[in-house]
Amino acid sequence: MVRPDRQLQPHSSLQSNIIGNVNHATVISTVFALIIINKAGGLIYNRTFHEGGLNKISTNDYLVLAGTFHGVHAITARLNPLKPITNPNRTSTTSTFPSSTPNPNTGTPNPSATPNSSVPSVPSTSGGSYLTRPDPPAGLEVLETENFRMQCFTTLTGTKFLLFTDTTQANVDLTMRRVYDMYADYVMKNPFYQLEMPVRCDMFERKLGSYIREINNR
Amino acid sequence: MSHLGPGKAVSSKEQTGLRYPSNGKTIYHRPLNRTKTAELSQSSFAYLFSEMVTYAQRRVTGIQELEKRLNLQGHPIGLKLLDLLLTREPPRSQTRPLTIIALLHFIKINLWTHLFGRQADRLEKSSNPDTPDEYMIIDNEPLVNAYISVPREMSQLNCAAFVAGMIEGVCDGAMFPARVTAHSVGGKEEGEMWPGKTVFLVKFQPEVLEREALIGKG
Amino acid sequence: MVVYSFYIFDRHTECIYSKTWLPTTATAHDPQATGASHQLRASTADDAKLIFGTVFSLRNMVRKLGGDDDAFVSYRTAHYKLHFYETASSLRLVMLTDTATLSMRNVLHQIYINLWVEYVVKNPLSPVEHKAGAGVKNELFELGLDQFVRGLM
Repeated sequence: MVRPDRQLQPHSSLQSNIIGNVNHATVISTVFALIIINKAGGLIYNRTFHEGGLNKISTNDYLVLAGTFHGVHAITARLNPLKPITNPNRTSTTSTFPSSTPNPNTGTPNPSATPNSSVPSVPSTSGGSYLTRPDPPAGLEVLETENFRMQCFTTLTGTKFLLFTDTTQANVDLTMRRVYDMYADYVMKNPFYQLEMPVRCDMFERKLGSYIREINNR
Repeated sequence: MSHLGPGKAVSSKEQTGLRYPSNGKTIYHRPLNRTKTAELSQSSFAYLFSEMVTYAQRRVTGIQELEKRLNLQGHPIGLKLLDLLLTREPPRSQTRPLTIIALLHFIKINLWTHLFGRQADRLEKSSNPDTPDEYMIIDNEPLVNAYISVPREMSQLNCAAFVAGMIEGVCDGAMFPARVTAHSVGGKEEGEMWPGKTVFLVKFQPEVLEREALIGKG
Repeated sequence: MVVYSFYIFDRHTECIYSKTWLPTTATAHDPQATGASHQLRASTADDAKLIFGTVFSLRNMVRKLGGDDDAFVSYRTAHYKLHFYETASSLRLVMLTDTATLSMRNVLHQIYINLWVEYVVKNPLSPVEHKAGAGVKNELFELGLDQFVRGLM
């Protein structure tokens, strides 16, 4: 017998946090669009759920946008003011920076920050051998403008999910988590999907469509 | 099954162990996994099956050949399951099915429950008088297809051909030689509700029907 | 609330003012202090360029998606938050804070109105174009900014 289950979650520690917040989130935002960018910066998925939320731009523009964002995202991770120099010789001084300021991670819970929970959340710039593993994703997570809000979730393998919603500060984390679940289920478990290639999976389209419709109609 | 007959049960009194335990139950009587809900992770299965499809796809030229390969992967499983499931029946009903209806019920109930944790959704006989040798087992959402989106250019394909192979194995093992194929019927008529609805078409060899007719007369 | 740094870019995309409130003075006691502070200064100049590139790309992206009347307000990463304010004269103010900080839009607006306009624009000795920060680094502006930001923290 085979039992239906959710896939193993690397972010289980924060899940309770998210679930805890759901009850308080009375305002549900409208989801405008979803973009998925592969680890090389290529656009692999792009779908609009709500007309009028964002300007209509051509597929080519979306491709350019994905590439640009990929670059900007990498730079935003480098701009971290708390570790301005990545010099392995200066271990002692760099490591004092985070301790002298409050840990920013304790502020607002969000799914993208969770990979930190398994890795030391203190910026790991020193040359210790156990710190040779790649840093957890540290790039842009939320972008706010006057007309919309964009949340970016980077998976541990470098795939980026961009969810565009209206500006209400609702709980987008939960939506993002469900979208990621669906991607893991209906895209990654599909034998006909080729890694890093554009996503064309009927099942994913269908499930995602009905889930987002449910949110937007609430 | 002969080696599990009463003769052996006598000898088990002198020699106990895994093969001949004191209570007469051998390792074949129960699943090895004895936790309360002897279940496997659906994700693990999905990934495994995804690789099986990819493997089968590697050296084939057409969809028919691919389905044939999936069918062949399932066939030996069906043969073995027939023996195993009959062994686990209570001793009185431990006989192989002798009529088509009994066989199909065995598949619909015992085989399906063992594999998927539920019965098949429907059993039908072909209403076409030209094909009295055709029977249909209907599953509204086959577990093996749970995460699979078949690309448009392969719309004829149904990966449940693997399950069809298992059914064929059971039929062959029970001396009801048959050809079993899987067909997607979602999207038609009532298919809106079950987009993954699959019909397993069981086409028995002429000699099976001949025998069936003789039994009926007797 | 913690403010990490503040930058002003003119309409020629040049960084005409930057200031950090990071506890970098600790490096002074370091034996490699001279090398370190030199590196630090180089990285600040690099950072200014990177920051401008980032906010400029994001601003264009936002305008493309949200329409010409849309304006990029802020973004947040796991470690810091960046706030952006653009005036009608294409002067761009950028502030980096910790992640828990709420919108700093009006703070940046106040800096523009109460400090920039008062002490730089209205200063008769200040040039029109601030090549390499000329005219911005006057005592009143710097003191006012430092006091204002420290007051926030």
